[in-house]
Amino acid sequence: MIDVSGVSKCFRLPHERRTTLKEHLLHPFDRTTYEVQQALDNVTFTVEEGEFFGIIGPNGSGKSTLLKILAGIYRQDRGTVRVRGRLSPFIELGVGFNPELSARDNVRINGTLLGLGKRELDERFDAIFEFAGLARFVDQKLKNFSSGMQVRLAYSIAIQVDFDVLLLDEVLAVGDADFQEKCFATFERLITDGKTIVLVTHDLPTISSYADRALVLDDGRPVLVGSPAEAIAAYRGSPPAVTRPVVDPVDDVVNRTPERSAS
Amino acid sequence: MAAVSSILVASRWGARRERFRHRLRILLVIAGSEFKLKYAGSVFGYAWSVAKPLALFTVLYLVFARIFKLGAISDYYAVSLLTGIVLFGFFADATSLGMTSLVARESLLRKLVFPSIVIPMAATITAGLTFLVNAVVVAGFVAWEGVAPRLDWLLLIPLLVELYAFTLGVALVLSALFVRFRDLGQVWELGTQLLFYATPIIYPIGFLPPFARDLVFLNPFTQVLQDIRALVLYPDLPANTITASEAFETFGRLVPITIAGATFLVGLWLFRRDEPWFAERV
Repeated sequence: MIDVSGVSKCFRLPHERRTTLKEHLLHPFDRTTYEVQQALDNVTFTVEEGEFFGIIGPNGSGKSTLLKILAGIYRQDRGTVRVRGRLSPFIELGVGFNPELSARDNVRINGTLLGLGKRELDERFDAIFEFAGLARFVDQKLKNFSSGMQVRLAYSIAIQVDFDVLLLDEVLAVGDADFQEKCFATFERLITDGKTIVLVTHDLPTISSYADRALVLDDGRPVLVGSPAEAIAAYRGSPPAVTRPVVDPVDDVVNRTPERSAS
Repeated sequence: MAAVSSILVASRWGARRERFRHRLRILLVIAGSEFKLKYAGSVFGYAWSVAKPLALFTVLYLVFARIFKLGAISDYYAVSLLTGIVLFGFFADATSLGMTSLVARESLLRKLVFPSIVIPMAATITAGLTFLVNAVVVAGFVAWEGVAPRLDWLLLIPLLVELYAFTLGVALVLSALFVRFRDLGQVWELGTQLLFYATPIIYPIGFLPPFARDLVFLNPFTQVLQDIRALVLYPDLPANTITASEAFETFGRLVPITIAGATFLVGLWLFRRDEPWFAERV
């Protein structure tokens, strides 16, 4: 289903970030020095159809980068990625949510971005709010929702999308106990429906109770692909990552313009 | 090289059509939400999109028509001025919104798989919606001046298509470059201001010496503006309705039209070239 072979990815992180023309004009020969971050180093694994596959590892070990390459958001420097079947187009929940708009508008926008057609959205609109338990708040602005409520809404939209392969980055951390239970119920349904799931997470209990196999990454290198128990042991046993700049530059480093849509 | 291949169950054509529809839906939903957000929380809402060009028009009209007596040269000075302001407003809006659009929507770029060209396109469409609202006001002015509609006004359509292609091309170039050079924002703010005075919006083009006239006609915006004025305000003063074909002889329009087309293609090419790296650079 998913076949990853020898994938490597470098990020070039400029030491002094030069993004202004003036700096380029004033110091044309003064090349910025880059620190090359080996975010992923020769990663190879396969995921079978219908498998629940976990990716674990310490912060900055390249998990999210790998997921973004699988999704086609980043382009790898070397290696190949083959995916058969329809990929879910999102890797996080609530893509494009905007706090200034109503929940109704946000469901339309997010649902459309995830690939739902107008008719599908109309049909499933009530079901989405029902599942999220937010039917009373349809016309409230999203900024008045608690973060847990936002995640509930986002999750409820995401499960309406048709896909064969679901790629997800760290989802189930928020939401109250009731909703978590609902989530795990839909998870089990996805599994029995034969969907392939790739989950990046820190939540080891989720891995041990749901995953068929897991990949452990450390500092961009694959440590092991194996059963959940083996993977967790390897993860626990691996020495804590040496402090170094975060691997995924766009997630955490330097001057970003204020976000207009909630992440 | 990306070796991500998806094997789709549906027939090729069906899949292609569905993908196109999906992109179109994304385009419209982003453009629509942007338009909504622009006036979210403001009391007068969409009325602002009309109020702003009208206010600029009023000031410029008072200064140039009344104080500098430019209004005396033609009965149509006022409507001619308003047409210029509204068209330029679209160009300036679309390009500056388009320029910052990728950076403003970075969370989409990094979390969703979709063709990112939709983002700057949506910005130009948002500006286009504002333009449509303003065009209604211009149409009102034209009617009030007693100009009767004619069949050849249909030529407005290809002219507006040309303007859109040119504008989109500029927006694509700017948006791709803005990812790397953030102070392009300052440059373009100044650039649009200079362009406003470098195009015959306030003054009739006939006031320019011939060499300067040829120069401003290299800008497709000038050609479109002059063609629209000549088309709609036909009996206007000759100095106001000089078009590109008078400046560069018979096939003169081909010069700015070619420039518009080339700008569009360059924009498309540059955007495509940088596209795979947007997600990690924004």
